[in-house]
Amino acid sequence: MGVPAFFRWLSRKYSSIVVHCLEENAKECNGVRIPVDTSKPNPNEVEFDNLYLDMNGIIHPCTHPEDKAAPKNEDEMMVAIFEYIDRLFNIVRPRRVLYMAIDGVAPRAKMNQQRSRRFRASKEGVELVDEKNRIREEILQKGGYLPPDEIKERFDSNCITPGTEFMDNLAKCLRYYVADRLTNDPGWKNITVILSDASVPGEGEHKIMDYIRRQRAQPHHDPNTHHCLCGADADLIMLGLATHEPNFTIIREEFKPNQPRPCALCGQKGHELKDCQGVAREKKGEHDEFADSMPASEQEFIFIRLCVLREYLERELTMASLPFPFDFERSVDDWVFMCFFVGNDFLPHLPSLEIREGAIDRLVGIYKDVVHKTGGYITENGFVNLERVELIMEAVGVAEDNIFKKRKEDDEGFKRRNKEKKKRMKAQQRGPAYLTGGQFAPQALGGRGRPEVVQNARHQAFDMRMQGRDQMNRDAAQSLKAMMKNGGQAGTSDGQDGRGVKRKVEDSDSEPEPEDVVRLWEDGWKQRYYKTKFDVDATDDEFRKKVVKSYVEGLCWVLRYYYQGCASWKWFFPFHYAPFASDFKDIKGMFTDFELGTKPFKPLEQLMGVFPAASGNFLPETWRSLMTNPESSIIDFYPDDFAIDLNGKKYAWQGVALLPFVDERRLRAALAEVYPNLSIEEIKRNSLGSDVLFVGKAHPICDFIQELYREEVKEGTEMPAELCHGVQGTLNLDEDPIIPDKLVRSPVPMLRDIAHNSAIGVKYRDPQFDDNYVFKAVILPGAKLAAKVLKPGDWERGNNRGRGNWRPQLGFNANRQQAHLDQSAFRTLGHSINRQQQGGGQYSSTPPPGNYHQGNYGRPAHGSGGGHSPAFPYSRQQGLMGAPPPYKPPQQYPSPQRGGGGGGGGHGWNRSMQTQGTAYQQNLQRGGQGQGGYTQHRGQDDRSRGHTDNRGAHQSYNSGRGYALPPPSRRYNWS
Amino acid sequence: MAERRSGDDIVTEYLDQNPHLVEWVESLRGVHETNKQWHARREFVLRNMETFPMLQPGFPSPSLDKLLSLSMCWANHIFLGCRYPQPVMDKIKEMGEGVVIHDVPVLKTRDEIMGKGKRSSGSDIDGCSKRTKTGPSESRPGNTFKQGPSAQAPAEHQPFFNRLYKAVAWKLVSAGGFGPNLDHFEILRACTESLKETLICIFVPLKDIPDLPAARTQIEGQVCELRCQTVYLGTGYGRDEAAARSMASKEALKVFQGRKVTVKICRRRFNGRDVEDLVLLDDQPRNPGFPPAISYPFQAEQEGDGPS
Repeated sequence: MGVPAFFRWLSRKYSSIVVHCLEENAKECNGVRIPVDTSKPNPNEVEFDNLYLDMNGIIHPCTHPEDKAAPKNEDEMMVAIFEYIDRLFNIVRPRRVLYMAIDGVAPRAKMNQQRSRRFRASKEGVELVDEKNRIREEILQKGGYLPPDEIKERFDSNCITPGTEFMDNLAKCLRYYVADRLTNDPGWKNITVILSDASVPGEGEHKIMDYIRRQRAQPHHDPNTHHCLCGADADLIMLGLATHEPNFTIIREEFKPNQPRPCALCGQKGHELKDCQGVAREKKGEHDEFADSMPASEQEFIFIRLCVLREYLERELTMASLPFPFDFERSVDDWVFMCFFVGNDFLPHLPSLEIREGAIDRLVGIYKDVVHKTGGYITENGFVNLERVELIMEAVGVAEDNIFKKRKEDDEGFKRRNKEKKKRMKAQQRGPAYLTGGQFAPQALGGRGRPEVVQNARHQAFDMRMQGRDQMNRDAAQSLKAMMKNGGQAGTSDGQDGRGVKRKVEDSDSEPEPEDVVRLWEDGWKQRYYKTKFDVDATDDEFRKKVVKSYVEGLCWVLRYYYQGCASWKWFFPFHYAPFASDFKDIKGMFTDFELGTKPFKPLEQLMGVFPAASGNFLPETWRSLMTNPESSIIDFYPDDFAIDLNGKKYAWQGVALLPFVDERRLRAALAEVYPNLSIEEIKRNSLGSDVLFVGKAHPICDFIQELYREEVKEGTEMPAELCHGVQGTLNLDEDPIIPDKLVRSPVPMLRDIAHNSAIGVKYRDPQFDDNYVFKAVILPGAKLAAKVLKPGDWERGNNRGRGNWRPQLGFNANRQQAHLDQSAFRTLGHSINRQQQGGGQYSSTPPPGNYHQGNYGRPAHGSGGGHSPAFPYSRQQGLMGAPPPYKPPQQYPSPQRGGGGGGGGHGWNRSMQTQGTAYQQNLQRGGQGQGGYTQHRGQDDRSRGHTDNRGAHQSYNSGRGYALPPPSRRYNWS
Repeated sequence: MAERRSGDDIVTEYLDQNPHLVEWVESLRGVHETNKQWHARREFVLRNMETFPMLQPGFPSPSLDKLLSLSMCWANHIFLGCRYPQPVMDKIKEMGEGVVIHDVPVLKTRDEIMGKGKRSSGSDIDGCSKRTKTGPSESRPGNTFKQGPSAQAPAEHQPFFNRLYKAVAWKLVSAGGFGPNLDHFEILRACTESLKETLICIFVPLKDIPDLPAARTQIEGQVCELRCQTVYLGTGYGRDEAAARSMASKEALKVFQGRKVTVKICRRRFNGRDVEDLVLLDDQPRNPGFPPAISYPFQAEQEGDGPS
């Protein structure tokens, strides 16, 4: 979903939904790598039935990663994708179904967004190459050093679009991969794999939803199936909620803000491309022993437990004394619907609703306020009650004026603080520590910038004073050096007349903000908005109504898309901006129904619709020329350059790309002329494909499928439900099937062919329902809801008789076995830690390891600044071994852990734990419980547990954790 | 105002005379088009109909689609700020002649936003985009409808300036180094002439320059621009021509203080437009922020003659 902030907001507000993944790593023995046996119980203490992969979330990072060097060729990309899937499989260990869905042709509604992304990506790619070359040249001229540039073709990420050769190849490779794993991996032995490649229309996640929806609607579905969906999009959370399955978990890469990225030129971290100086790498640690130990460099995965989110929502949405019976499931649907106002892939968000400004809370508040007026829920099974929506919109509209004013105030406050921060940061030294500054700063040979004497001594003295005030603990000599260096730079750039340098009004590197002509915070904003964004006068009510009508249609379309599937492949929102909430008047009659029987584009047609001319190389020649030839009858779809409206944002990539919309009729007419030019291969790529189902030899349904092939059954055959855990669908023979004992050729040269294949593949089709069938958004009969995790609202310490023993829960299992350290372990610990070290004590200035609660988002990650800060295991020891925290019972070591271990239901500390070696910390917590000392620390638990930001408590836990670097070994010895 | 009236009037009149076209032409309107956009595009379509002889109103045909496509290009260019390949731009400019639009929205293309650092900021404030009546041909700043230097020009001129760089360097050494007390013009002139080239000085009274930074609005004075082989070297201001020329030479010589000089194509303002100009630069990466050009030797068509 186009709301990157959504997940951040959700995980902060409902922190218990996040559970960190435990991942078993492959071991090595005598130089031989022993793969993990995924048929063993899941180390996360939960068993998943189905794993769904939204493949595009995997393909993108594997083909053009942001945090490491890009793969050299397509084969390496494929192997990276295989490894990524293996890794996910190892974590989730599904027992029944693995569903892989690659984005196929998307509904027209999505096309605007796809166009905008691809047009931008194409330009950004070219710009990056230019920028790299320019800076490379500059650095080399100045005598800097850069590693040689490997000659490789730029990977155009635009090829990750259905219909390209790349996607076709990918589908082939994945078939091979599935066959290989089904044959060789014991963990895959009994699972059913469904591969829905790019030739099957629909977005990946929606193909998955369609599958789940249709399985749910047939009688053999197991209502207690545990689903796990992989993908980073925030709308997966909405989709998951929309299924109303009680056990639904999402797995995604942990979002770590401000991760240091390697510089594209020299490959070092700590600076961006434009600041690259081409200096030698600074040693990390005395002997460069920390060279590759970027803290938390490997991406970790997290689970998002939707059943816990449902618990949170139940608390928030439950309303008493309603004029109608309260149904939590219905209110969840309404909540999902309201989230669409804040942003989705298909509509621009309302100008007054900004997720960062608590828009969803505001909407929920309004929802509860107006419920007495609306007299019911605003949605049902994905159909919208517009009368009731209007009441909500009306309430938002009333507040609009104030929202805009407040936004301006906040914005100004933010800018002011930012400016001050910048000033402080600027005083700090940049570049590696061994670079001399000031008079002694390195200078380019023969350059004009000769070292200069200190100019305007008063000014420099002032700066130094100010800096000293801010940074009491800085080494004075170093700051002096830094100051002189800054002074020197200023001198060379503009002090050529030898006169004093005037203080500049603004930072030289702060770009002038574009003027905001709409000024939403001033009276008359509505007129100005319509004038500047739509170029219509305020009096043009008709046009405004047209926009509102389209938006209302859009809301209906989106909700239907989530609950019933794609209602119309043709519909789209034909404007670049949304109307105001206060414009939603008399919307009741604005929408009746969508055009029936619309068909998706063919893959190559869609390519013509979303690609810029610069990506035309993915298309057949005559098709391509339609994008560039001035005589082409669709040349207007392919501008070279387009306007970007920053729309109040700072960077071009945040702005709205003002691209023209595609006229479907003209596109089809133009393509009709060039259709005859397609080669057989291209015709195949342009056709709609089918999902494919694979199973291994050991699977009960394997014989059934083999029988189908033997008898060459022509028509579709229903799957017998009892053979495949109640999964239903229609099977059709594949033209070029994967069949046991038939050689499967490897499409990747570095991987072997499968000589003794034991997998079988067959075309698969979801169960079909009548066109008018409505999928019910309800909990199925027989479904058991997951056990509660959150602390009951009226729960009090010591007063919990008769209501069960509530205990904070980490992970999936409430009764997880805690391990403990024995006496000798603690002796070892005590030995390896220097007790004499009297660090800062409990309140040491060393920050706790990054965690969500600390508001770490704005701050660069530890150690990102090129290694001045000590690597963090060291810094943490200090905090620990100083004065014992006051709550620590004197008797023995394990006690401080209990408080922290039991209490940290939030994932704040959890995260540091992950980076430090999980099993060990696990053991520590188990120790707490094992020793039976739980109750006496409950008070402590309570404090950290309550979601009132008890930062103090958290801090002390954090610094009190981490006894030492844990041993690398991991043990999973719960039973 | 009067002119716009007539534009709309012509269309109305035309449609009155050809009532069979009314329904057809309305069917070409896009859902997202505002009245203003549609009226302009309608005029564009009607004006250019006869250039597509195969076009039969009321029947879909490839030539109709071609005309529609060009009309959309034109509208997208005017109202959305899109730019198309040069042949398309030339064509729609020609076809759009005579269609008058009020109040053209001011939009920045992506390239302009990204390339912001390369151009002098603040020079955007010019009358062009604020004119109430603008023909499409000059409606958008940044259109390179005008001819500029060819892409190979920098490479062609570079060898000469390498030699000039050496000559200047030696001349300065013999003069005791770069400083305020030199006759900068003499040095530059002598060096160019020693290489059998001439230094061209263009003078303009300061008050004739339309888009100067506001700080320099003294009425008296001259501005001098130096060029050699059409390549821009520097601009200077002064009380009289000699002083301006001297300042310009001093600016030009500053470029020669770097490690090398490079001829590049850069964007500058000229006569209220952005044009591509050949410019001599040193190797310092910085924001050049050129003063507006006062001459432009790359014009093919003399449509907007500068005050040279």
